[in-house]
Amino acid sequence: MSTRKKVMWWIGGAIIVVYALFPIAWIISISLKAPSDIANGQFLPSSISWGNYETVLTGSASELFLPALRNSFGICLIATAISCLLAMFAAYAIARLDFPGKKVILSTALAVAIFPVISIVTPLFNVWRQIGLYDTWPGLILPYLSLTLPISIWTMSAFFREIPWEMEQAAQVDGATTWQAFRKVIVPLAAPGVFTTAIIAFFIAWNDFVYGIVLTSTEAARPVPAALGLFSGASQFEDPTGAIAAAALIVTIPVVVLVLLFQRRIVAGLTNGAVKG
Amino acid sequence: MGAAASLVAVATLSACGSDSGSDSTLTWYTNPDSGGQAEIAARCTEAADGAYTIETAQLPRESSQQREQLIRRLAAEDDSIDLMSLDPPYIPEFAQAGFLAPVPEDVAERVTEDVVQSAIDGSTWDDELVAVPFWANTQLLWYKQSAAEAAGLDMDEPVTWAQLVAAAEEQGTQIAAQGIRAEALTVWTNALIEGAGGSIIEETAPDPEDIELGLRSEAAVAAAEAMQAVATVGGPAFSTAGEDANVTDFEEGDAAFMVNWPFVWPRALSAVEAGTLDASVPEDYGWARYPRTVEGEESRPPYGGINIGIGAFSRNTDLAYEAAECIVSEENQTYYFLTNGNPAAKASVYDDPEVLEEFPQAPLIRESLEAAAPRPQTVYYSEVSGALQRVYHPASSVEPGQTGATAAELINAVLAGEELL
Amino acid sequence: MSTTTLPPGEKTDPRSAPEKKAGISDRSRSERKLGWLLAGPAFVVMLAVTAYPIAQAIYESLFSYRLTDPANRSFTGLTNYWVILTDPIWWQAIWVTVFITVVTVAVELVLGFGLAMVMAKALSSIRPVVRAAILIPYAVITVVSAFAWQFAFDINTGFVNSWFAWIPGVTADTDWFGDRWQSLLVICLAEIWKTTPFISLLLLAGLAQVPEVLQEAAKVDGASWWQRLWRVTIPNMKAAIMVALLFRSLDAFRVFDSIFIMTGGANGTESVSFLAYRQTIARLEIGLGSAVSVLLFLVVVLIAFTFIKAFKVDLASTRGE
Repeated sequence: MSTRKKVMWWIGGAIIVVYALFPIAWIISISLKAPSDIANGQFLPSSISWGNYETVLTGSASELFLPALRNSFGICLIATAISCLLAMFAAYAIARLDFPGKKVILSTALAVAIFPVISIVTPLFNVWRQIGLYDTWPGLILPYLSLTLPISIWTMSAFFREIPWEMEQAAQVDGATTWQAFRKVIVPLAAPGVFTTAIIAFFIAWNDFVYGIVLTSTEAARPVPAALGLFSGASQFEDPTGAIAAAALIVTIPVVVLVLLFQRRIVAGLTNGAVKG
Repeated sequence: MGAAASLVAVATLSACGSDSGSDSTLTWYTNPDSGGQAEIAARCTEAADGAYTIETAQLPRESSQQREQLIRRLAAEDDSIDLMSLDPPYIPEFAQAGFLAPVPEDVAERVTEDVVQSAIDGSTWDDELVAVPFWANTQLLWYKQSAAEAAGLDMDEPVTWAQLVAAAEEQGTQIAAQGIRAEALTVWTNALIEGAGGSIIEETAPDPEDIELGLRSEAAVAAAEAMQAVATVGGPAFSTAGEDANVTDFEEGDAAFMVNWPFVWPRALSAVEAGTLDASVPEDYGWARYPRTVEGEESRPPYGGINIGIGAFSRNTDLAYEAAECIVSEENQTYYFLTNGNPAAKASVYDDPEVLEEFPQAPLIRESLEAAAPRPQTVYYSEVSGALQRVYHPASSVEPGQTGATAAELINAVLAGEELL
Repeated sequence: MSTTTLPPGEKTDPRSAPEKKAGISDRSRSERKLGWLLAGPAFVVMLAVTAYPIAQAIYESLFSYRLTDPANRSFTGLTNYWVILTDPIWWQAIWVTVFITVVTVAVELVLGFGLAMVMAKALSSIRPVVRAAILIPYAVITVVSAFAWQFAFDINTGFVNSWFAWIPGVTADTDWFGDRWQSLLVICLAEIWKTTPFISLLLLAGLAQVPEVLQEAAKVDGASWWQRLWRVTIPNMKAAIMVALLFRSLDAFRVFDSIFIMTGGANGTESVSFLAYRQTIARLEIGLGSAVSVLLFLVVVLIAFTFIKAFKVDLASTRGE
């Protein structure tokens, strides 16, 4: 590869990195501004202030923020695990097996995926109140499945579709049952796709705002996006810009770490999971 | 202090008589503040000496969202809501829907004693006290003394919006007011119409069809004229400016006149302390009664604040009322005023030397509260306010002869279920 | 196309005819059982959390019902639908939503494809960096992204006005959220930033599935990069493109969080979801709000149906091609 081409790649890469990280840099910058420096009209703070982090981690907003962080992690991880497990089996059946009703399942998944969350949320609230799921972890995990399952099923079906099923048939010819063929041959091929899907599912659950705000009311289950709306400035009339930015950055740090950790897995998943020929 | 303590003691005794059950933990849903309500909850818990424990749970920042969250839960007859910090305009809706436990007569008597009239009005629906007045807020006219002087305004005399607009134009400065499409715009609209002797709702009624609107009145026209004029000197971001943006403009000198709540004063002082605001800025601050909409007519400053409602489905309404009495004690109101900048509902607090020291505006705040006009009292406040915001926003597009009628039509249609909002 | 057609793989089954016949009926029965066994739990869970609310929403849309006034709940038939469909606010919300959907999805598809190509083809030294960077906007919570973009453009807290004052029309006094089109521009920018990685990830998955052999063959045949892109790459990843496009369009059509945070629906920036939220959650008019939701759902179904029929996106026909 010529030097010129290399330079072009580097420039292109740099542009993408700036594009992706610029708003994050902006949040970092604003989170370091003191309340009266917020309106300085500049990208960078005039002087660095850690006050917003104190507010969020140890100060007045910590009682809101820290439990919310714990809830977000717990609820999203559980929802992701359940939805990936269920979707894996469903997607295998849809991509591989011939049985009546798979169109029904796919259409249902699509319908669930596209139904406006807003209109599900009020009736759900009433049921949750009656059966005691309101403001609990399961009370959010279940609706999160409605967000993550459809896309997991669809994405995994798309993945599974490209898997060389001849290999499974070959295994079946060799005497393996359908289940054995699935487990021994297909699972290793499908795992990278499942992993990528898991990441997507996690981020979808992590991103939820409407369920979080309607189906919770205390720190028992309230997730971070809902908690951000509860911060207050020095008085109720002041915008908690700095505190929101600090909290926003803190919830972004674990996500960045996850991305950096999973990045190789995604790369591996997408290259190894691909079918050559 | 003594009065509060004996009050609590009496209340505690009366609670012992009733079988209030074993569960003595009360949940208080509070609007976000600087931690004052949490501290008051802790103080009352301590003073109760085991009779009850108050835990706080926080509501969203916007009062409309506070209402949404509470109403949804109350509609499901949630028994975990014992005490609620309620924004006054939503109180009629809560009361009419039967979401508020009735105030015992003796409690009503005690908690309205020595309380400014607007706070009592704000806790009243259908001639009954339905909530406990806690703190009462109002807006003042804040100005830069230098600018007022340069414009030749005599701020000791009542000023009109028109005078301010002329002064701002002459001085090349701005007037900061709440032009944002939010509850604050309704606050402003209401104060303007009331200031001209009118009312958004002239005759309220539980049935939406019987509600009589005053938006076609001369007062509404005068209010619209003032709004439109202020919008011309409201600065480039007038249509998105809320209280926080206003005070920023005022501190930075872009605006020399501002209508805003008293929090702007401690905010400026603490910014000076933190070294982020020049000490000369608050020194130049002046304050006066809310501007008049029309000459010769007393201004009617906005009324805000928080009153305490007791959830109708609470398992422990007696204990909750006890706790509410403790929360609104003179001592706690003074504490709240001093530390969180939220003015008290009790008039006597304004004579407290410490309050006067911290808030030189205190006498003016009290005077304004006595004259303050509440926002329209109706079960359908949310709709009325939402429709007003839709029609009166942006303020620059307001047409004096027409906007009021448009808003009235919209409100009628929305209440009749014929239009979306 | 039909899913009942025997798959090619089994037609060429090496086993002898009589054995095959018995095998098929046996296997199809066990396949059917296994199919429902595997897909059943996911199916049941999805129905459990949505079927009841969906049914409830449709049912309640036929009533005049205010949450705080259950005593006066009354059946009004299709009145709610009539009220909505004759109200200009509904149509305005529809057009705003369509505008946001078309603009963001179109930009995202092109941008996302470019990002996917870079991720797939970049120098191995920068590839991990680029991939990690692209994943970050996707992982960031929409609410957080909305706050970041709002703070950036806000006349008081933002830096955009001072940085981009050289662009005609932008001055220190530009109030981005004070005007409809400017607000929509910022909303679209935030949405594009946030969701382009989603599309590019799905496209990358598709790209990786394009047979390398075909690429090599085309190269040997002397096809240019551009020709290979259009003749080999894109046709071979059609399924991935369609899935990405379908999901992103439907997602964009429900845009809510960004509008909620940035404008609160002011200046005619209200989306259909926001309209439903306002009727149901803010006004507590459950009947009217449910009707808006049902209509929103119907529009969304229409879009999905169009996609599936017009572009033949059909995941169920895996075996019948």
